Amino acid sequence: MALSEEEHKVLEGIVGPQYITRDPIIMESYCQVWGNKLEFGDKWHRPPAAVLLPGNVEEIQAIVKFCNQAGILFKPFARGFEYVATYLASSRGILLELKRLNRILEIDPKNQHAVVEPFVPVYQLQDAAGKLGFYVGKPGVGYSASCVSLACCHQEMTISQLYTSGYGRNVLGCEWVLPTGDILNLGTANRKGGWFTGDGPGFSLRGILRGRAGANGGHGIITKCSVKLYPWYAKAPSECELKREPGQALSAAQLEKVPDNYWVDVLTFPDTERMLQAARDIGQAEIACLVAPAYMNTGFHEEGNDEQWAKLKESPPDLGKFARMMPVIVNGHSSRELEYRRKAVRAAMEKWGGWLEPEWNTEKVKAQIFQYQMWSTGVPGLRATGDFMLSTQGADGSVEMQLAYRPVEFQALQPFAAAGNVLHPNMGMSYRPMEHFSLGCSGGIATDFDPWDPASLAAGKEYLEIVYDPHGPCRRFGYANRGAMMQVEDVNHIHERWGPIYDRADRWLQKVRNMLDPNRVADWSAYIPPEYQERPDEERHACC
Amino acid sequence: MTWQDFIHDMQRCTRCSYCKYIPWRLIRNFRFSEGCPSAARYHWHAYAAGGKFNLAYSLLQGAIDINDSLLEVVYKCLMDGSCDIACKVQQDLEPLQHMQEFRVECVARGYLLPQHQPYLRSLRAEDNMLLRRREERGYWAEGLEVKRVTSDKAEVVFFAGCRYSYDQDLWPVARAAVHLLQRAGVDVGILGADEACCAGRAYELGYEGELMKFAEHQRDTLATVARTAGVHTLVTACSDCYSTFKVLYDKIGKKSDVEVCHITQYLERLIQEGRLRPRKSLDLNITYHDPCHLGRLGEPWIHWQGREYKPVGTQIWLHDPPKRFRRGTHGVYEPPRNVLKSIPGLELVEMYRTREYAWCCGAGGGVIDAYPDFAQWTAAERLEEAHEVGAEAIVSACPWCKRNFLDTAAITKDRIGIFDLVELVERAVGGSE
Repeated sequence: MALSEEEHKVLEGIVGPQYITRDPIIMESYCQVWGNKLEFGDKWHRPPAAVLLPGNVEEIQAIVKFCNQAGILFKPFARGFEYVATYLASSRGILLELKRLNRILEIDPKNQHAVVEPFVPVYQLQDAAGKLGFYVGKPGVGYSASCVSLACCHQEMTISQLYTSGYGRNVLGCEWVLPTGDILNLGTANRKGGWFTGDGPGFSLRGILRGRAGANGGHGIITKCSVKLYPWYAKAPSECELKREPGQALSAAQLEKVPDNYWVDVLTFPDTERMLQAARDIGQAEIACLVAPAYMNTGFHEEGNDEQWAKLKESPPDLGKFARMMPVIVNGHSSRELEYRRKAVRAAMEKWGGWLEPEWNTEKVKAQIFQYQMWSTGVPGLRATGDFMLSTQGADGSVEMQLAYRPVEFQALQPFAAAGNVLHPNMGMSYRPMEHFSLGCSGGIATDFDPWDPASLAAGKEYLEIVYDPHGPCRRFGYANRGAMMQVEDVNHIHERWGPIYDRADRWLQKVRNMLDPNRVADWSAYIPPEYQERPDEERHACC
Repeated sequence: MTWQDFIHDMQRCTRCSYCKYIPWRLIRNFRFSEGCPSAARYHWHAYAAGGKFNLAYSLLQGAIDINDSLLEVVYKCLMDGSCDIACKVQQDLEPLQHMQEFRVECVARGYLLPQHQPYLRSLRAEDNMLLRRREERGYWAEGLEVKRVTSDKAEVVFFAGCRYSYDQDLWPVARAAVHLLQRAGVDVGILGADEACCAGRAYELGYEGELMKFAEHQRDTLATVARTAGVHTLVTACSDCYSTFKVLYDKIGKKSDVEVCHITQYLERLIQEGRLRPRKSLDLNITYHDPCHLGRLGEPWIHWQGREYKPVGTQIWLHDPPKRFRRGTHGVYEPPRNVLKSIPGLELVEMYRTREYAWCCGAGGGVIDAYPDFAQWTAAERLEEAHEVGAEAIVSACPWCKRNFLDTAAITKDRIGIFDLVELVERAVGGSE
């Protein structure tokens, strides 16, 4: 439903005419995102009634307050790569693109934290912090992801958690515009004292702020956020020279060697079980800054699909072996510390029967692993087939639980892979440590599918039906969700269907949501609906 | 290919927004991280290449029609191809070719941008896009003792192009280029008043018929002077002309047999052969601005005809035969730098966005004619980048870049030096006019 002229004028008065549009042409570019076909059955999702580019927190407050008065749904987003970022539960909804809030406000070396606005990508902060000898918890989702979104709105699935803790632990002070338009500051009681605690003068609100995966705008807008920084012993990314041969594509630009003070080993094990046991030993000993079981994302992808395919045909790698391989990166502020940690990793490797495959431990491969896994990764699957999906990622728990969960997921996926309807690289399930394995780990399978191939799309949907089914094989492994919590509640109804199994957790989440947003104007599509719509029982249990 | 042929690309654009920036891992300064002037200036996603994929898909599905708003989005684009390079780091898509064909479609359907029409009329009536009379075309060379290949024998023809032919402020560059060639003993001639527009800029606006017509004319002309005058090489100091002769004519199957060189390539050759010796020291701290049409858009065309397919039992998209994408890496980057490095006293400092991921000067894609404020904003960004790296002067190798930098600097009162590379070489070898 379009905004009225009066409503548009009010919003225009807040941000200025150049920073608001409701032009139907422009709106078409705010509703076409990868993943739509799987989620909504079409390239499009619902276009917004308007898009605004607020320039500061005062404007955001004014917009939100007006939305409360006028009953307009609002949703903020930063970089906008995920369909949950721009989807609105109602056509009478507006998007707030936060690209004008793009500053690193402070890097505090003494207290090891940085204060950023929402549009700052993690790679930018990584670089700025790196120049001062610090490192930021990194995403597994590409260079351009927003620091604030990761800290406040994204499921924890980074492989650097051994070193940087999970995203939820990295949120410190916040400036939070609640759905009512009020500002809530999380941080120290004395604001002049800085932003280095997330919990404020009273009880901690971080659990409400982000929970497991954040509310994705469902409980307001984070306009500033302080995130933790960790020691970094090498150059910043932009200070490192990346080599490529003349005429080579930019994708070939690589570090030539692992920086001093860092060491990369790619360990191989006889089986997944022993790989995970070694990962747990290394994690709990707190000697590594990154451990990535079965996560050989090294940027090995070639310039394009044709080149990639040719390489695979020329010398087919033993992909099955990737499921038993584990890159480990250690660092040290001195050569002695580095050497000690390196020896400790090797001891864990030997304890669990592992070894170093020479071809995966060359200087070049190690440098690639360092570059991609310490700084960021892309999503090459999107190039290969056009889309990908992560498996449920719901099953974070102990290593033993992951090992029990693994065959269930494989069994669910196997018929579609066997039919050739999904591209599953047979690399197995990869795992991310939760903290130092103190919270266990999460596991998942990244599966590529072609959303424009009816059979492949149907396979993707059927597969999700299995893992989203509260009465299905994943029931005992916890609340289902598409990886990184990328489900749309009014399509998937995850909370509604899984809440009853898990102590009515959905009801408590709904209470929190409705308390924060009494007028129901903060978009809930990637959080939880204020109430469930009445539907027949059979529809209530249908998936997707 | 037509715009509809890019449906695969429209469907598969993920909205990653890589098209808005230079490739992330090559960012050196986040103040200068953006690659797409259009997205940077006009904010909305529609202005980026990814947004244009969205609009094209919506148009294809009948969800929207072409209207003034869509035309504005389509034409507030410099067609500089930065998006194309950044996108291909991650994807197998063709954003620039898609935008080109989208413009062609707008024109074919009769949706013409009014601001461009005087220039098109000028092209059709006077063979140039600078709103000048045809007979004035040879004025730039008046008094210059140089052969006319229409009547004299010469091995090399110097092709001035519209901007050098009609922009009097820039005549000294074109004349210097001829002087340098002569000084090195090159047997050079010009077409003078018999020269005509290459039509590369018209094509960028979506007028493919004009490109075809002028390409045929140029090919016939070059064939004639090759036969009658013995011309075997065309040298131009205009990057737009270079790209048109080298790339676009090849793309549409109208490539001439005559070798095509940019003046920077030819000067590099002459210096390496010792036929030109830049001896005079120029005490200047400069930065080099890669013209889009010499750099990424100057990369030779790669012909491909085939089909997309998925191997049985997989979902990966491949091409039969395998397709090599133009990634901008084979543009002309080293020759201008080598020439500059050969000049004593010049200190060359690179900007943050260089080579195939250089920021556009702002003059491309018809923007300088239709939206001059956007052209100047874009140029001002580049001049600020030049200042940021400590350059006293910005050097380019294209008259459109120099024109736009000069106009912008005059407005912003920027006192940075603005040169064409040819001018510096002429100073260094001595003997300027």
